Amino acid sequence: MTTRMKRIQWMTALGASLTLALTACGGDDGGSAGADDPIVVGVSLPLTGDFSEPGKGVQRGYEAWAKITNDKGGLLGRKVELKILDDQSNADRVVADYEQLIGKDNVDLVVGPFSTRLVVPAARVAEEYGMLFVEPAGAAKEVFEQGFKNLFYAAPAVANDHYNHLAEYVLALPSDQRPKTAAYAAMDDPFAQGTAYGLKEKLEAGGVRTVVDEVYPPNTTDFGSIAAKIAASKADMVVGGSQYQDGVNLIVALQQLKYQPKLAAFSTAPTNPEFAAAIGNKTEGILSPTGYTQDAKYPSNTEFVEKYAAQFGSPPEEDEANAYTTGQVVAAAVTAVGCAEQGECQKKLVEWVRTNTVETVVGPLSWDETGKPKGAHMIQQWVGGKIQIVLPAAAKETDLVYPKPAW
Amino acid sequence: MPSASEPTTAPATTSPATAPPTGAGTTRRRTADRVVQVVAVVLLAAAVLAFPSLAPNPYILSAGVVVLNYAVLSTSWSFVGGFTGYISLGHGALAGLGGYGTALLVTKAGLPSFVALAVAALLVAALAVPIGFAALRVRGASFVIVSIALVLILLLVFQSWASLTGGSRGLVVPRPFPDLLRPEHHRVFYYLFAGLLALALLAWWMIDRSRFGLGLKAIREDEDKAEALGTPTFAYKLVVFVVSAAFTALGGGLYALWFGDLDPVFQFSILTGSYLVLMALLGGVRNLFGPLVGALVVGIGLEYFKVEFGDTQLHLVATGLLLALVVLFMPDGVLPAIGSLLGRMRPAQNSIREVTAAELRDQRVAAAGAPAAREPVDAVASTAGERAQSTEERA
Amino acid sequence: MPSGALLLQSIILGLLLGGLYALLAAGLTLYFGIMRVVMIAHSAFLILAAYLAWWSHSRLGVDPLLSMIVTVPLFFACGVLLQRVLLARLRAVTLTMMSVLLTFAIAVLIEGLLGYVFTGTQRRIQLGYGSASFGIFGARVAVVKLIAFGLAAVALLTLYLLMKKTTFGWALRATIQHRDAARLVGIETERVAGYGFGLGLATAAVGGTALALDTTIYPSLHWHWIGPLMAIIVVGGLGSVPGSAMAAMVLGMLQSLLQIPLGTTWAQTIFYLALFATLAFRPQGFFGGRLAQRF
Repeated sequence: MTTRMKRIQWMTALGASLTLALTACGGDDGGSAGADDPIVVGVSLPLTGDFSEPGKGVQRGYEAWAKITNDKGGLLGRKVELKILDDQSNADRVVADYEQLIGKDNVDLVVGPFSTRLVVPAARVAEEYGMLFVEPAGAAKEVFEQGFKNLFYAAPAVANDHYNHLAEYVLALPSDQRPKTAAYAAMDDPFAQGTAYGLKEKLEAGGVRTVVDEVYPPNTTDFGSIAAKIAASKADMVVGGSQYQDGVNLIVALQQLKYQPKLAAFSTAPTNPEFAAAIGNKTEGILSPTGYTQDAKYPSNTEFVEKYAAQFGSPPEEDEANAYTTGQVVAAAVTAVGCAEQGECQKKLVEWVRTNTVETVVGPLSWDETGKPKGAHMIQQWVGGKIQIVLPAAAKETDLVYPKPAW
Repeated sequence: MPSASEPTTAPATTSPATAPPTGAGTTRRRTADRVVQVVAVVLLAAAVLAFPSLAPNPYILSAGVVVLNYAVLSTSWSFVGGFTGYISLGHGALAGLGGYGTALLVTKAGLPSFVALAVAALLVAALAVPIGFAALRVRGASFVIVSIALVLILLLVFQSWASLTGGSRGLVVPRPFPDLLRPEHHRVFYYLFAGLLALALLAWWMIDRSRFGLGLKAIREDEDKAEALGTPTFAYKLVVFVVSAAFTALGGGLYALWFGDLDPVFQFSILTGSYLVLMALLGGVRNLFGPLVGALVVGIGLEYFKVEFGDTQLHLVATGLLLALVVLFMPDGVLPAIGSLLGRMRPAQNSIREVTAAELRDQRVAAAGAPAAREPVDAVASTAGERAQSTEERA
Repeated sequence: MPSGALLLQSIILGLLLGGLYALLAAGLTLYFGIMRVVMIAHSAFLILAAYLAWWSHSRLGVDPLLSMIVTVPLFFACGVLLQRVLLARLRAVTLTMMSVLLTFAIAVLIEGLLGYVFTGTQRRIQLGYGSASFGIFGARVAVVKLIAFGLAAVALLTLYLLMKKTTFGWALRATIQHRDAARLVGIETERVAGYGFGLGLATAAVGGTALALDTTIYPSLHWHWIGPLMAIIVVGGLGSVPGSAMAAMVLGMLQSLLQIPLGTTWAQTIFYLALFATLAFRPQGFFGGRLAQRF
């Protein structure tokens, strides 16, 4: 190596040392707690990348919660301030974000991100810093098998329990009407798979034979082959563990093949406001579980729907409601315990949430020792061109139509 | 290792490597350089080691761990990309394999964390043999295609084979030091990464000075000629690919132990591989510390873009633009280009050789003042001098 | 054992899919033939075209097929510019490697811009005839898929005629076969190479429109396409258009059939297995391609 090359090389090394030293000095500390300071609530959300659409819904829910809370005077007489970071739908980033929020920005409280894939890594950071971690979107059962002590899921039921009411209904049908065979197709995602497999387990135990069991990667765009398999099996019922677009694509592909099941249930997709237009309005009879309805009669929900619509111009959906619920749970704990900062206070908050029931927009919520909520989802169905609650009987807006009309 | 694969080094072996070839002026400059070297290394080591105590909060410390991880990976990348000029976009996959290998050996086979890390690196190195065999038999284009395909196929396999890998539910890696608080955990891993980086740099430095390294560079310059001159090009490429894979796997495995959660989508991402390439190219692949500097610049740059343009996809645009600019205008690296501009006010080096024709001419001009009979040896000795030593050791 | 109807259905789907693969692989093969460039950004341009088709349909209310009137010439111009302005700048010695990086950078750039402008939301064109289909022998063929296949077939045929029957095609083939010799007989290889690139990119415009008809699109979708396409051009023998078309049909069919026993995810691995097998046992490809030996 020539002298000159060598000199460049060592100058590079010098440059590296300098850069390192500068970086080390670059950080600055966030605010500290005081009686009049706002309560800073840190959250990292997927505002870009694969989960950006639901991520933005969750963001709106949090913003609505902060605004409604502040309009009523804040928490403990302090204003609530959100600090939202973008994790780009990336697990590395979500961890770095919570690390930054807790370690650098010194936020008083943290709340959860979106998607099961991101909740587990994020919850670990919160757990290891001893922070209360209420989250709006980690519904898969794996979340609750990690031994987290500070984690609580702010929705009525985990993914595997979403279809419980439907399973009961199907198995209660007279045996000559009951579906004999079922086809399942689920996105390779803990949440989506959880919903379909929760139903699958219960139906298989009740004697409904599984004839197709397909798992497709989240990036699947062509559902022709999956639909062909389902159509060829002539299953009596089809269950889709879907998010949104994949559910739409699968339904369209099934319609292209003129497949007519007696019962069709898809998670998440059918409750989306754009769903009907996306599949050409051939929605009749499609079922979907939901943890939230704008028409629910809980007092805080009436307020939420009204003020949310005033703030954003349209009524809230499930993602927004879950984020709002998360806020409600944290607020209830803070109000009851009377503190909101890092350290000992967090332990008291965790203790309080574990032993109490919180009234929310999705009804009263309480949790078992793993942070799993003890409830079930309602079942909705497209009847007469709009989606209505059909199960459980106590909450229904109309009767379940079975077998479903042709689509 | 076959001898005399590089005829141009032959005359150099006859002259002692440390002999002052061109008189007292050069000797003085060399001594000065030696001082600069020592100071630089000491400063660099001190800066790296002092960073955890200077870091104002655990977040900055964790960001330091991420940057060091990038530095380890891009240094590992430059074993292949720098020495042979074969550009791999798939090193992210090798890191992912190291991570999953470590995690599975800990969770399924019950090995202690760091034993698992070493075993996983060996396994990935073994796996790199058939991969390298398919990828390196053919030249350039196919190698890149294979490297990208590697990422995509591993993503599919690790996603689908959920019974082993956990699939999309992810895989939780048990903490090697369960009792440590999080900031302490970062600190320990910071030093572990620093150690691994030192090891990788040392390996790079040793290969650089060896006859093996010379053969690899010959491949980079002109593979056909190198082969014609007797360099076992295929074996050399394969060996360095395996070494690179092993270091990459170590980096990935250590990251898995630090991070704790693995998800196929993030472990087997093409973007990771492209960041490594960008870092190495930006810092300069012919330079021992190039990838490290690149990792610092890109790592901090990524962070900056996230803070400034957080909720848009502009970080991708910036990455793309930067990569395109580097490839178009500074394929030898930005920092070496700036360094050589500052070092001597002459146009940036634009030959891929380490000794340009212009430099050779300069040396001849300089040597014209020295005894004329020594001239032909000098020109070669200055390029191959240090290598001669290791050649003798091997012989 | 799958039923006959399912088998027939899968074969039809495989054919339709293979047609699209063949068109897209033809573009990649052209680039490689002309400049020994592996054009990673090809599928990013494909997605860009699909977005333009979606945009013109949903915002302007135009049938997506009409968007090709704009996108095909636009992409042709882009291709010429890309070759003349960017790729021609690279050093000949490191061209293959550096062009990969450069086109990779362009792909990331396009992905980022698409995400910036249209967000990461998945999009799908909602056509009135979206779920229409007709039956043959108990299998069903969706109208949109057939249109997509028809587009691909017409574009491939046009490309074939252009290369075989016109003076430009003759010059292009000469440039691909032996650039120096082509220059010696008076072909302006630089200009021909630029037009060849434009032609390749124009196929991406057609392919993107076809793609947008029946699938969801999102900015990072191009990674999902570039892998299979690269595998196809290697299996087909780098640089051979008919070879890559054959490989595309065979692999598309295999993927479709393998989905019956293996499921969607594992079936995709066939492309990479074929790629590794080709490189390990027959680096020159299975369907011709004299160029491949050295690359």
